[in-house]
Amino acid sequence: MQKYIWLVPLLPLIGAAINGLLGRKLRFSEQLIGGIAVGSVALSFLISVAAVYSYGFGGHQWPTPYLTSQDGFSFDWIPGGAVSVNQGAHDAATQAPRFALLNIEWSYQLDPLSSIFMLIVTGVGLCIFLFATGYMHGEAGFYRFFAYMGLFMFAMLVLVMGSNFLMMFVGWEGVGLCSYLLIGYYFDRQEAANASRKAFITNRVGDFGFALAIFGIIATFGSAQYTDVFEQAKSFPIELLGHWGILSWIALGLFIGACGKSAQLPLHVWLPDAMAGPTPVSALIHAATMVTAGLYMVTRTNVIFQHSQTMLLVVALVGAATAIFAATIGITQNDIKKVLAYSTVSQLGFMFMACGVGAFAIAIFHVMTHAFFKALMFLGAGSVIHGMHHEQDMRRMGGLKKYMPYTYWTFMAGWLAICGIIPFSGFWSKDEILWNAASTTQIPLGWLVWLIGTIAATCTAFYMTRLMGMTFWGKERFLEAAGGEADEAHAAAYDKGLAPHDATRGSAGDRPRHAVGEHVGPVHEDVAHHVTTHGHAKDDGGHAHGAHIPHESPPSMWVPLVVLAILAVIGGFVGIGPAFKPITGTDHPGGRLNITTWLKPIIWNPATREFNTPEDAGHGAAAAAEPEHAAPEPVAEAGAHGATGTAVYGDTGFNLAHSVEASTHSHLATEWLFIVISLVVAGVGILLGFLFYVWRPALPGIWAQRLRPLYRASYNKYWVDEFYGWAITRRTMDAARAVYAFDARVVDGIVNGLATLSRMFSVIVGGIDKYFVDGLVNTIAAFIMRLMSPLFRAAQTGFAPNYALVMVLGLMAAVAVFFAKDILAAFK
Amino acid sequence: MLNFFSPALLFLFQEAESTSRASQMLHAAANPDLSKFLVIGALLFIIGVAGVLTRRNIIVIFMSIELILNAANLNFIAFSRYLQETGNPNALAGQIFTVFVIVVAAAEAAIGLGIVIALYRNKETIWVDEIDLLKW
Repeated sequence: MQKYIWLVPLLPLIGAAINGLLGRKLRFSEQLIGGIAVGSVALSFLISVAAVYSYGFGGHQWPTPYLTSQDGFSFDWIPGGAVSVNQGAHDAATQAPRFALLNIEWSYQLDPLSSIFMLIVTGVGLCIFLFATGYMHGEAGFYRFFAYMGLFMFAMLVLVMGSNFLMMFVGWEGVGLCSYLLIGYYFDRQEAANASRKAFITNRVGDFGFALAIFGIIATFGSAQYTDVFEQAKSFPIELLGHWGILSWIALGLFIGACGKSAQLPLHVWLPDAMAGPTPVSALIHAATMVTAGLYMVTRTNVIFQHSQTMLLVVALVGAATAIFAATIGITQNDIKKVLAYSTVSQLGFMFMACGVGAFAIAIFHVMTHAFFKALMFLGAGSVIHGMHHEQDMRRMGGLKKYMPYTYWTFMAGWLAICGIIPFSGFWSKDEILWNAASTTQIPLGWLVWLIGTIAATCTAFYMTRLMGMTFWGKERFLEAAGGEADEAHAAAYDKGLAPHDATRGSAGDRPRHAVGEHVGPVHEDVAHHVTTHGHAKDDGGHAHGAHIPHESPPSMWVPLVVLAILAVIGGFVGIGPAFKPITGTDHPGGRLNITTWLKPIIWNPATREFNTPEDAGHGAAAAAEPEHAAPEPVAEAGAHGATGTAVYGDTGFNLAHSVEASTHSHLATEWLFIVISLVVAGVGILLGFLFYVWRPALPGIWAQRLRPLYRASYNKYWVDEFYGWAITRRTMDAARAVYAFDARVVDGIVNGLATLSRMFSVIVGGIDKYFVDGLVNTIAAFIMRLMSPLFRAAQTGFAPNYALVMVLGLMAAVAVFFAKDILAAFK
Repeated sequence: MLNFFSPALLFLFQEAESTSRASQMLHAAANPDLSKFLVIGALLFIIGVAGVLTRRNIIVIFMSIELILNAANLNFIAFSRYLQETGNPNALAGQIFTVFVIVVAAAEAAIGLGIVIALYRNKETIWVDEIDLLKW
């Protein structure tokens, strides 16, 4: 089955091509478009499952990467040539220029990392595609939406399945393009168009770093193929803190790219704005898959990152800062999708934290669980928005539990998962991240990362409970006109003294458009009607924002929710960590089904300077680096690499886990202590959330007043957009104006001056030509003509005998010449 | 004029000196050889050319042209007969040419006289020195 994985990206592309090229021309029905899109993704998913199964469990391929070129399913994409490879040579012998033959082929790679991403992208993607057929029902751009989505699937799969950096870059740019297209799906609305441009331009910054890193990789290793590059990179020396060798620079470029794509500080600004796209897009692209591309890339290049202690620290600190930064913003947002967007940014920060402390497998584990529960919550939010008739402001929701049971119960699973409550999936991955941060020996300041992560986790529990409380529990506020920023159509109408539902402004967010001035219907009469019949409000006067009775979504929407909810509940069981050894009997239960074991072969071990072999104990470098003396229990993974792991990265200062372990004298007890801490902070967050938003709904207002500066900072997203607007956008405009002025005055002045000069010159030259040269020519010609013309004129008498005479004379002359010899002889 | 032609006349009668003057002349008249025909042809040609160049009446010029053509015809016939005597198989070609020339002359005369009539109708003259239309 492995050799058919080239079909996995191709099928969604074909589906997208059919929908995009023919959908409008042939007026496909929604069923046909949806069928093509969902069918192609479903086929891809089935092929992925079969291929991963046969790769991991069917034969002996695992963990060796499988490339489709082994079976001939590849082609020479960029047949380069000899490239000079003299960068980064690290000993005197290789200083001389060396040449490598660069030949980049288009082939897909199946290995532990790409197989996980394949399954996430196609599996979660399938759920979201199915959801979208319900959510996007009735849209004029139905075919366009699914064409873009299919194209996105293709690009994302190329990104994660490519076997070299350039294929990754193609996918990288492809998902960026599709993200742009889909954020701007409602392109006739200003804020959607602006958001799509913002996303694209912000990603340009990251892509610039990524492109530089790829150039660096080719210049250093003479190849872009992962297997070649990592094989060479293994032997490079490790660059300790503060040392900027070639691998640190490459890692910096890669991480800038990852920051752009995965919305890390300071390039996070585009992701919350990207919520202007339809909600399935937010779920698929801006939560589950595309934004994790940065994590994929960092994990894929973990050899390079682990060679640079500086960059590991940078990754960890940026991740931690992003996690706390976004989590605090999430607390005060009122738009349900904005909360989830900041939550996504925050969770991505957690994942980078894991990468930075060397726990790459755990980062991917969190990518996976996050894909489940965040896709679930985004789709749940989409269901709420759909049921609320395109209302996104949580202040106008409340008490939806009664009206939307499927959405409520599935959302609940996502909520518990993200808060990190024990058997739900988010617990397993988030706890492992915090534990690895506390116990890392690869970077200093692990304790700080842990502390920030723990606070961020508390915030996460708090704002997610707030979201649940404002949306599903509490008072039913949708019958009141709550006003507020999300209801600007109402407000503007009110200000102008119009009837409340005569909109004079387009509505914001992921909502249908009202033409300005359009009357959107006598809603309040409808309310009475709906209250009595409890019917759907689909076809009343125009999907108005405002007072409607919510309704549960159709099965095409809640079935994917249920599937994702199940995954969000049980998804964490593939990554149960060593802390549960007394229960499970082994460090990583499940054999290869355990994600840590599954991913181990792609993680480089700095102690052995080789990739881990499947037989190795321990989970990655972090575990391998645990010092043995601090673990009285015979913990298997702390075996041979213990001391050397520390030696590789030098002394990293205060280590929280080791200090605790020194006092508890038990490795297991230490791990459990951290588990309890993270459970307690999650509980505290949840309780605070209940207190503020369920039990005492007056409290948020009071505390917002008491902490007014903090509240305003959080509510205004720390003014980062304003700062960028002032520091970058305005400065760019100023520079543009200055350049324009220079162009208009100086450059144009020179050009115009030269033009005037040459015009004057041409007048002079023209005069000379006209009066002098032409005069001379005319004089001479006239002189000759006057001299010769009488001669020629006289010859033309017009009398036939004259012509005849000339003819005879000519004849005689000809005879005379021809017979000259005979005539002379006759006269002699 | 006679002085001018005397060498040709002498040539015509040069054979007569050998035998009795009269019989020789009779014989020569009955059996002229090729050169005599050529001489007569040349005379005709010269007379024709002189007529074309000197006469002003367009009809006379036409007649002179006919003389020129017939001078050519005489040459053809003379050579034809000469070749017949030498037994050349293509000897009849000259006579065929003659027929052609006569036909062409007739056609030319018809067209030429037509032109003359048209000229006369327009210019009311047949004197060539009063017709200088070729100048334009």
